[in-house]
Amino acid sequence: MNNPFESTGRVKASLNEQKYIASDEIATIVFLAQKLGKPLLTEGPAGVGKTELSKAIAGATGRELIRLQCYEGLDESKALYEWEYSKQLLYTQLLRDKLNDTLGKSESLAEAADKLAKEEDVFFSSRFLLQRPLLKAILCDQPTVLLIDEIDRADAEFEAFLLEVLSDFQVSVPELGTLTAKHRPFVVLTSNNTRELSEALKRRCLYLFIDYPSLQEELAVVRLKVPDLSPKLAQQAVEFVQKLRNTEMRKSPSISETLDWANALVALNAKSLDKQTLEDTLSVLVKHESDLQKARRQFIAPPPARGKPDEFGRFSGN
Amino acid sequence: MESRILQLIAALRASGVRVSLAESAEAFSAVDLMGIQHRDHFRLSLRTTLIKDSRDLPVFDKLFPLFFGNGQPPMMGGNPTDDMTPEEAQQLADALREFAQSLRQRMERLMNGEQLSRQELETLAQMVGLNKAEDLRHQEWMTQRMMRALAFPEVREALRELMEQLQQMGMSKERVEQIRDQIQQNMQGIEDQLRQFAGERIAENMSEQPPSESMDNLMNRPFHALADDEKKILQREVKRIAAALRTRIALRQKRAKSGHLDPKSTIRTNLKYHGVPMEIKYRDRTRKPRIVVICDVSTSMRFCSELMLSFLFALQGQISKTHAFAFIDHLEYISGDFSGSDADAAVSSVLVRMPSGHYNTDLGWSLNDFNNEYLNTLNGQTTLIVVGDGRNNYNDPRTDIFSLMARRASRTIWLNPEPPLMWHGDSDMPKYAPLCNNVLKVGNLKELASAVDELLSS
Repeated sequence: MNNPFESTGRVKASLNEQKYIASDEIATIVFLAQKLGKPLLTEGPAGVGKTELSKAIAGATGRELIRLQCYEGLDESKALYEWEYSKQLLYTQLLRDKLNDTLGKSESLAEAADKLAKEEDVFFSSRFLLQRPLLKAILCDQPTVLLIDEIDRADAEFEAFLLEVLSDFQVSVPELGTLTAKHRPFVVLTSNNTRELSEALKRRCLYLFIDYPSLQEELAVVRLKVPDLSPKLAQQAVEFVQKLRNTEMRKSPSISETLDWANALVALNAKSLDKQTLEDTLSVLVKHESDLQKARRQFIAPPPARGKPDEFGRFSGN
Repeated sequence: MESRILQLIAALRASGVRVSLAESAEAFSAVDLMGIQHRDHFRLSLRTTLIKDSRDLPVFDKLFPLFFGNGQPPMMGGNPTDDMTPEEAQQLADALREFAQSLRQRMERLMNGEQLSRQELETLAQMVGLNKAEDLRHQEWMTQRMMRALAFPEVREALRELMEQLQQMGMSKERVEQIRDQIQQNMQGIEDQLRQFAGERIAENMSEQPPSESMDNLMNRPFHALADDEKKILQREVKRIAAALRTRIALRQKRAKSGHLDPKSTIRTNLKYHGVPMEIKYRDRTRKPRIVVICDVSTSMRFCSELMLSFLFALQGQISKTHAFAFIDHLEYISGDFSGSDADAAVSSVLVRMPSGHYNTDLGWSLNDFNNEYLNTLNGQTTLIVVGDGRNNYNDPRTDIFSLMARRASRTIWLNPEPPLMWHGDSDMPKYAPLCNNVLKVGNLKELASAVDELLSS
């Protein structure tokens, strides 16, 4: 099988083909993770392309991306597997005649039970096993990329369970026995750092911290993803975003927000970043009311003279 | 190379980064794979395997160049005498002769743009005591000391004189400027060399430091017998213990679902069994405690309170609401200081605001403050925790208010570093203790950790 990840240079190039601009750092670490067969733990502020990275890796290697989105209360039955009871019930209903045929000839109850026991496997076969992302990644015939998104949102309990799976890629289903992975999936975990992950989990992973990009990098991303935006405007827009990030904000704009904004500028057919355009589109970039006002004050205009109260009877402007 | 990597790992550990054995083995296999030709790849392979916390990245970025150089030797400006006419060289030699012997030698070396030899560096290190330095914050200071030992300030002064003299002797102005620039570059080069050397040496010292006293020992040491740096170590340890506790408590809270049937969700889940209730769903009983904590932050109790607060705020996810108060002679509401995630910083900001005096601890008055303003923070779901030694300097203990508070709260727990044997003198503990559900002795971190565990377990 041809492997696009045979050197860091190739990693970078093939991620680039997937429209993901990888820095040397990202390329090197992805390369290492793949070579060492270790899960890759990516951390960083929201919206810097952590999830996007795993999509790009999947695209570049031509593997299927299996995504497990974590949330509070996520448990094994939603992450690993579940028996599909309704299907089992349905099958028993439909197969009743057949069962009668099989069991009807038996003379004693014990004999019937024995016969039924022989057929037990029919009802607990992988046919009725509802595969959740983790099991899917393990059983897949092709190598896959397994994305475990926002692991910090899951409970500590789930993290411990995940450790088991990640260390040897096998799970035991009591009715079926132990299922071992045919191919080790490439595992990417992302975390927004809302809580500390356990030491044990960190120990098993390679660590990649993705921060906000530099001006050049961000400009490259914008040019690549929003080719319709004129180079000059793109430059101005990215400079503006970088300036916003330097001011103290409750939520700094991320790359994804920059891209949304760039798309908005294209849609509005903006020619330059004048006051009106900024005023109209700023809310795409800045999502908190207080941040919005701050940005307005700092970058667009001083608050207008207090005059008309707005529709809520408050004075607008600050 | 391998021993160098091990040294780096040891220095990382000495700076407080947790690196496990598995991780260091991992680092070696990563380096094997990536090779060491490409400096950046080498750095990244070490970083991605050794550092697992974004807060530790700066430590690594600081230490790495100290062990593996910053890629190039310090820039030297070159030798200004190279392209001099014989006449100019003569002028320079004449001018130099004016200076004292020792200064002249240094100036000549600077002119030649030589770096310091290993031997000379060692001598300097000896002179300024660099070999005993074990803290990277001393790097700049050590560099300055070595520069002073090399008589840099005098040399600078002499250089100016030299330039003036050369000009008087009739050397062209541009030429003099040029010489000065080159010499200054050479000085900068030597300064860089010294700085690099100081950093390397300190980092090496750090990695050779015997591993600090075992954590168990430290955890069992009474709070008042701790040195300052040991306190720092314990602060870090609190974070780790808190993480472990968090996991256990989360599990416990998860399992504590019992009692109330949740019909809605039971019907919903059992739709798939044709409505036969095979899986019973219970209503999630909120087991997260609400906590009101009152901490004595006077000198004697300060560290214990600090650790307790760090614990509570590290465990915030497992607690539904915390109100924290600090007192010495009066009470202050300090939850606002903990809005960020960094408990250490918050605690010290509180302490700055409430400097402690001598023998002015007054719990009675502080309870009165509480009674006047904050009594409504206590209700049937609240656990009231007092961290203090109950030594009131013979002020009125106001047990009337305390018993009112204890009645309002569902549970009252007192954490006291002193055992009951010592409750005499100005200690009001014998009066407070009967009003509490539980009085726990927390004289060291181990006891504090188990107290916190117990606090959140029932």
